[in-house]
Parts: sequence; structure tokens; C-alpha cells
Amino acid sequence: MKKKILIVDDEPNIVMTLEYAFKKQDYEVLIARDGSEALMIIEKNKPDVVLLDIMMPKVDGYQTLEYIKNNTMLVNTKVVFLTAKNKASDIEKGLKLGADKYLVKPFSVKKIFAEVQELLG
Amino acid sequence: MKKRHEQKLVILSITLFVMINIPFVLVFDVPGAIAGIPILYFALFSIWLIAIIISFIILKRHYE
Amino acid sequence: MSNYLLFIIIVCYLAILFLIAFLAEKNAKSKWVNNPYVYTLSLAVYCSAWTYYGSIGNAANSGISFLPIYLGPVIACPLWIIIMRKILQISKQHKISSIADFISLRYGNNRFLGALTTVICLLGTVPYISLQLKAISETFEIIVGTPAATPNRFFDDSTFYIAVLLAIFAAFFGTQKSDATEKHRGIVTTVAFESILKLIFFLTIGIYVTYYLFDGTQDIYDKISVQADFTSLATLNGLEGGFNWLFTILLSFMAIFLLPRQFQMAVVENNREKHLKHAIWLFPLYLLLFNIFVIFVAWGGTLTFGDTTKSEYFTLLLPLQNNDTFLALLVFLGGFSAVISMVVVSTLALSTMVSNNLIIPYGYLEKFIQSHPEKNSSYIKNIRRISIFLIIIAAYIFYVNFSIELSLYSIGLISFVIISQLAPSFFIGMFWNRGSARASTIGMITGFLITTYTLILPFTLDSFAGFRDWVDKGFFNINMLRPYALFGIDFLSPPAHAFFWSLICNTLCYLFFSIIVKGNYRERNYAEMFVDNKNYFSLQDNVLVWKGEAYVADIKNVLIRFLGEERTQRALNLFFLKYKLPQNTQLADARLINFSEKLLTGSIGSASSKILIDSVIKEEEITLPEVLKILEESKEAISKNKILSEKSEELTSLTSQLKKANEELILKDRQKDEFLDTVAHELKTPLTGIRAATELLQDESEMPAEVKDVFLNNIIQDTDRLSRLINNILDFEKLSTDRQRVVMSKNNIKITIDKAIQSIQHIASKKNIAIRLKNQQTIVLLYNEDRILQVLTNLLSNALKYCDSETGIIAIDYKRLAGYLRVRVKDNGKGIPDEDIDYIFNKFYQSQDQNIIKPQGSGLGLAISKQIIEKHNGSIWAEKTYKTGACIVFKLPFN
Repeated sequence: MKKKILIVDDEPNIVMTLEYAFKKQDYEVLIARDGSEALMIIEKNKPDVVLLDIMMPKVDGYQTLEYIKNNTMLVNTKVVFLTAKNKASDIEKGLKLGADKYLVKPFSVKKIFAEVQELLG
Repeated sequence: MKKRHEQKLVILSITLFVMINIPFVLVFDVPGAIAGIPILYFALFSIWLIAIIISFIILKRHYE
Repeated sequence: MSNYLLFIIIVCYLAILFLIAFLAEKNAKSKWVNNPYVYTLSLAVYCSAWTYYGSIGNAANSGISFLPIYLGPVIACPLWIIIMRKILQISKQHKISSIADFISLRYGNNRFLGALTTVICLLGTVPYISLQLKAISETFEIIVGTPAATPNRFFDDSTFYIAVLLAIFAAFFGTQKSDATEKHRGIVTTVAFESILKLIFFLTIGIYVTYYLFDGTQDIYDKISVQADFTSLATLNGLEGGFNWLFTILLSFMAIFLLPRQFQMAVVENNREKHLKHAIWLFPLYLLLFNIFVIFVAWGGTLTFGDTTKSEYFTLLLPLQNNDTFLALLVFLGGFSAVISMVVVSTLALSTMVSNNLIIPYGYLEKFIQSHPEKNSSYIKNIRRISIFLIIIAAYIFYVNFSIELSLYSIGLISFVIISQLAPSFFIGMFWNRGSARASTIGMITGFLITTYTLILPFTLDSFAGFRDWVDKGFFNINMLRPYALFGIDFLSPPAHAFFWSLICNTLCYLFFSIIVKGNYRERNYAEMFVDNKNYFSLQDNVLVWKGEAYVADIKNVLIRFLGEERTQRALNLFFLKYKLPQNTQLADARLINFSEKLLTGSIGSASSKILIDSVIKEEEITLPEVLKILEESKEAISKNKILSEKSEELTSLTSQLKKANEELILKDRQKDEFLDTVAHELKTPLTGIRAATELLQDESEMPAEVKDVFLNNIIQDTDRLSRLINNILDFEKLSTDRQRVVMSKNNIKITIDKAIQSIQHIASKKNIAIRLKNQQTIVLLYNEDRILQVLTNLLSNALKYCDSETGIIAIDYKRLAGYLRVRVKDNGKGIPDEDIDYIFNKFYQSQDQNIIKPQGSGLGLAISKQIIEKHNGSIWAEKTYKTGACIVFKLPFN
């Protein structure tokens, strides 16, 4: 069965590259432009992994993560933060909230793929 | 009452003193009468009355 | 008319007066009792029987010389605004109860001077009172129509009983309270009432004589002017008469201030300074009315009776001659009123002086100190009551032995001359601070001795013993020492002559010894207070700087003796409250000493109160320079204190300013951090896109061409975005520091707007959005065109961003308003949410409710626009009231 990945980011150019890369590797790719859209998709499709930006309009990355972690139906959903916020305090905060990985922008597409693969075992 | 207006009354007093004393009062010291009042009396009473009116006006206007 | 009937009428009249006094005393606070008219009428106590009867006698005998007695006060009245006000202020400050108090206090609470003043007043007033009794007695006889009772048997003499009744009246209403500065409203009101009566009755008889008995003023004048000696009645009688005239005016000028009864009414009984406003013109008017008919009554009497021997009583004799007994009775009552008011007020004033300045300080003080407070109060009252009776009895005795032979007018003038001896000490002392107690004493005694030699002695010897020899030939037959013509000055009348010599010597002694003898510190302090009373008024109890030791308990004991436990406690409580001292203060300070002295002054006089207070304090002498120094120092201390507290206030405000500045700095610092964070984030976003796309392009060789195109295109877009962002950031930073000054030039706003529209026209056409400019007029003003173009472009592209394709409309307009140009950019897009409207000009602020596809923009556009407009001294804001889209407005000033 295909692994499902949800990409949440408000920057279309970035989404486009990630979508292309993961589809190539035979992932089912879902896309959301902000937190609230992401939540609807997560509920409906229960992705295996979520690539989550933090700074987004409406519902931001932190709130989205919190929702996922508090939902018992979503215990298997892994969350990877993918953000430009690279201060040590930000990283600590993200991991503490329960993110499985914290990756910073700009990123190498290969590395992201490797990290996601590792996460899904 | 302002000093200036007080001084008006002082000047009135000095004027009175001069007008009803010798030598000035000798000006009125002449025989004759006006309406049965000897001229000297008439002059003195007139000055007296004018002084009353002047002080009345000054006080009415300026006394606070 | 029957003897007894008249006596009953008199008693009835007195009963009415008692009733008026009683009612006034009961309603002491009423408007009817406390008004300037009552005050003015009470001053008319000046017009005694001397005026009522004496003036006419004088006018009939010597012509115009009755008039200067009233001209002096007329000259004095305008001066009241300065002199009387000063006297009133000083008297209120120091609780002064008589003229003796006033003079003794001016010279440092000098006991001897107070006593001397009292003696002079007594000697001047007792004959004056006897004059009133004489008038009563003689008018009584005229009305009754029988000769006088034998003076030796005073039991038969109605005058004696009337005198006793007057004494009872004065004692009853004059000594209700032991504090003599308490007002006697009852007496004041009866005096005012009597003043009305005497004026009305006097005018009535004047009109009766002039227009009823004769045919008007012209008629009397025509008849009298043919008499041989008439010229002397209607003129001044040359230069010699003129000098008499001058001195009499001076005499009465002083008397209106100095007579004990005038001081009592004008000063002690005054309860409002502003009564002067009316008194200054009303009192001369009263005197004027009183004098109008004098000459006509006098001449009418002379014409009717053919001689002037009884001329003083023409006002009674004329109606009696015509059988108008009732009118005569009214005139009698008018004269009686004049007598009562004079006698009552004079005895009241004198009794206060005798008790406070003579008996208490010279005899009873020791006794008071040992006695009980309740007893002290009644002692004081009894002393005054006895004084009143003694004074009236003395006046009666004087009348029986001397006055019968003398005319009213001459006795009156003698009194005036005696009283005028107070003048130098009183008047000069009020305005000259060098005047000293010793000089004052020497001056008064000298003046009085001269008056005795030139006036009192010859007068009494002449009338009592018929002994005229030395008057004509001089003392030891020395021609130069003739009493009526001292040193050859023989052209003055005896009173004017005595007045001239005594007052000249008195004044010279006063001035001379004031300069020679230096008063002690206390005396000079009081002098300072009197002369400069306005300055010291604000200092109040502080005024006397006093060095020494005293205990509150001791002072309290003294006060209790005179005021009683309750009043003392109340007064002290008030004092402590006023100066914010603790109630259990032990050591007394200068303020308490002065306060206590003032408290006692009302009861026992200033001299006595000083002695009493001195007995419980140990005072160190302190000279005037020291006093000034201490006052100066305390002033300095106060000002230093003030400076200190000002400085501390300044420091406090500086501290809070610093705190605020610090907070602002912290905020700025945090804002800077946030700004950098945001900048980093904004820069990284396109970088990420470029990085990812490039990587894919590199790795994926078999990537379809159209996908490759998209990625390449994305890279170009992101690069553009990056460079735009960098430009904006630099721009923004440049504008927000002051380094960048915009260069202004004259431009036409219409052209600038057209340029802005042109630059975005192609995007608008693509989206089919219309851009409309309503105005056409040329408005030229100073601005930097590139910068304003940047603002306009920014606003227009924002509008484009939020407008729907096809239906979107953007409208621009501009208008010249007072002092500035207003430009508006409106669109019909989705508008600005209310919660955002205050923040849209903040940097990197982007609405929470943007399109899902993030509109292009750095988030700096509006922030930069704001900076630019502010550099032009203008302002920019979003119109809150505009609901159908967004409306951004900016204003540019014309200069």
C-alpha cells in the first residue's frame, strides 16, 4: 500500500517541489495551504506522515500539531516540522510539543526524503 | 480698592482742606447773599455737597 | 408743662430706648442691626447737645465760627479710606477696646502711656458730659417753665435723676460681657435711632422757624442784614478770624478720630470694614443736613427776641413763644436723644479705659492673679459699672460747680483741645516707626500742661472765683506769659491759642525725643506692626519673634483665671489646631505668647495682659535687628526647604522618565529581534524554493520538459521576490533612520498619479479591473516625486490584489483642503477587517484573512509608504467608516 504524505505549506513553489519529489517515490501526496485545511484532510485521509510548516495564516503549525497529538485516532501519524525557524529555542519548542522530526528551510529534497523514510521505518 | 482710587479720595481731602481754609476761603468772604443765604455760607455748603457727591461716585465705582 | 409730666415722658422715652437696645441685643446678628447705615448713624454721636443747642447759640453770637467743628470731619472723611481702615485693621488684629489701648499698644504695651491717655480722656470728657447734663437741666426748665432747683439739694434736681437713669442704661447694656471688644449692638442701635430722631426734629424746627415763623430764607436775611453787627455774623472777620477758623478746623479734624466716643463707635463697634464705603459720604451728608438751618434759626431767634442771651435755646423758645408746646417737646426730645447717646457712649468708652488701663494694671492685677476665674469676670464687670457711675457723678458735680456759668460751646472746645493732645502720638505714631513711648509721654504731658496754663486754669479760675488778674497781666506780671496771649500772640481766641501752643510743643517734643531716645525692642516691634500693618497682617501670631522660656501650663493657668476653664480650653484647642501643634505641647512659643496676650487684651487691656503674661514667662531681650534677622532666617529656611522639595520632585520625575526610556529601549530591542526574525523568515522562503527546485532539476534527468519549465519559472519568480525583498528592506531601513532626507521639488500631483496608474495599468487590464481618476485640476506642491510614486504604486497594487477580476473598480481622487492636499485610493474589494485596520501600516503585517494563495508582497509596502508620507510631514491612514471596500487616505502639507 502506498504511504500517504500530507504537505502543509503556504508557499506554492515549495509545495510544488516536494509534491513532485514524493510522487516520484510512489507516495500518495496530499496538499494543504494552511492549518485548517490540513486538519480536514488529516481527519479524512489519516496520512502516515505530515510535513508541517509553522508560520501559516489562520491555524499555524503548532496548533495543527497539538490537534494531531490529542486525537487518539491519529496516534500513528508522524509529524515533521519543516520551517525557516532555526533558532535552538524554536527547535526545542517544536520537539517538546511532540514533533517527530524538526527540519529547517532551506532544505535538501533528498535529505527530507531520507528522514521521512527513516521515520516510517 | 486700588491704591490709585484711594489716592483720589486723599486728593479730594487735600483739595477740601485748601478750599475751605484761609487764604483761599477769603475769596468767598464777601458781603451779599444768594437766595437769602450769605455768599460765604453758600460757597461752603456747595463745596461740602460737591465733596459728598464726589466721594459717593468714587466709592460706588471703585470700592470692592 | 408740669414737672412730673415731663419726667414721665422722659422715663417713657428711656423705656423705649431700653426696648430697642434689648431687641437689638437679642437680634445682634440681624441685618437691621448690622448695616452701613446704622454704622453711619452711630457715628453721628458726634452731634451732641453741643451741636443741637450750642451751634445756634454760637451762630447767633459769633456768626460762622460754629461751622469749622463740622468742616474738620468733612475733610477727614475721604481720608478714612486710608487712616480709618488702617486703624480698623490694627484694632481687629490686636483686639483693641479703646483709644488708650491703641496708643499704649503702639508704644509697646506701655502701661503708663495707657494710663496717661485715660486721664487725658477723662479730663477732656467729664466736662463734656457735664455740658450735656447742663443742657438737659436748662431745657427741662424751659419746657416746665420754672427756675432750676437749687443745685445744693440734688435730691430735688431732676437732672440728677436723669443722670442716674443714663448711668443705669450705660451700665446695663455696656457691661454684659467682660470682654470689652465684644460688640454692644444694643447701644449702637439706640444711638442710631436717636441720631435719626435728633436730625428729624432739628430739621423740623429749622423748617418751622424759616418757613412758618418767617417767610423763607430771603425774608430772614433781609431782616437781619440791616442790623449793625451783621457783617461779623456772615463773614470770617479778617485774617485773625481766619486763623481761628483754621485752628478750629484742625481741632475738629483730630477730634473725629480721637474723641473716646468716636473711637468707640467708629472702631470698637465696627464689625465690617466695608461699612466705610457708605460712611465716608453719608456721614458728611448727615452733618450737612444738621447745619443747613442753624443760621436761620439763630437769626430768627435774634429777630424775635431782640437779643442773644438765651440764644442756645432758640429752638425751644421760639415754638413756646408761639404756643406750639408739642413742637417744643419734640425738640426737647431730640436734644435729649443727642444727650443720651453722647453720655452713654462716652461713659462706656471711658469706663473701659478706666478699668483696663488704670484700675486693673495699677492695682487689681495682683488680686486677679490669686482669685477665681468666675469672680474675675464679675470683678471686671463691676469695676466698669462703678466707673460708669463715678464718671457720671463726677460730671454732675462738675456741672453743679462749674458749668452753670459757662456756655455749651466754650466747654465743648476746651474738651476738644484737651483730647487733641493725643494727636501727635496717635497720628504720627501710626505712620512713623521711630516714635517712641518716652517721647509720646513727654509730648502729651507738655501739651497738657500748656493747655492747663493757657486754657483750663484761666477758664476755671475766672468762672469759679472770678479771678482774672493774672489772666490779664500774666504770670508774675510778665507780659509774655499772659495765658491768652503767650509770647505776644494775642489775636487768637483762647481755645485756638491754647491749641496752637500746646500742639506745637507737644509735636516738637514728640519728634525731638523720638529721635533722641531709642525705644526698647518690644516697643519697636509694635511700632513696626502698626506702621507696616499690612505686611505683618499675614504673619499674624508669628509677628513677634520672641526668645525665652515659657510653659503652656503656666500660660493656661493665667488664661483660666480670666476666661474660665472652658473658654481657655476651647481657645487653646483652636490655637493648636490652627498651627498643627500636638495638643500636649509643653513649651510655649512666640505664637502662643502673642495669642494669649491678645486673648486677655479684650478683658483687661493690653498693658495688663502683657504684665500678666510676662509674669509667667522668662523673656530674653531681643533687639529689632535681631528680630529682622530671625524673620529673615526663617524666610530663608522656608525658601531653602522649598528648593529642596522642588529638587526632589525633579528627581522623581527624572527617574520615572528614565524608567520609561528604558522600557521603550527594551521594547525597541524586542521589536528589532522580531524584525530580524521576520526578515530571515521572509528571505529563507524564496531561497527554499530555489534550493529545492534546483536540486530536482539537477537529479531528475528524465524530468518532462513542461515540468522542468515550471520549476525554472519558479526559480526566476523566487529570485525576483528575493531581490525585491532585499530592496524593500534596505529602503525601509533607510527611511526609518534619519540619514535619508527626501529631496523635495515642485510637482504636479495629477502628473504623478497618472504615472502611477500607467505603471500598473497592464496588470489591471489583465484582471479587467478599472482604475478611475476623477480629478483633472493641477495642484502643484513640494514633494519627492519618486517616493510619492512609490506610495501610489503600492496603494494601487494593494487595491489590485484585493479586488475581484472583472468587477473590480479602483477610484483615485485628490482635493485641496486648508493647508494640505488629500489623496484617496478606494477600491470595491473585500475591504480591511476591523481588527486589522490599526495594524496594516506595521512592517510585515499581513492580514490573517488573506487569500489562500498568498498574494505577492513583502509585507513592507504599507510600512514603507507610511515612512515616506511621514518624511513629507504628512499622515496616512485607512478610513474606518468605509465599508464597501478599502479606502486609504494620505495628506501632504503645502509647506
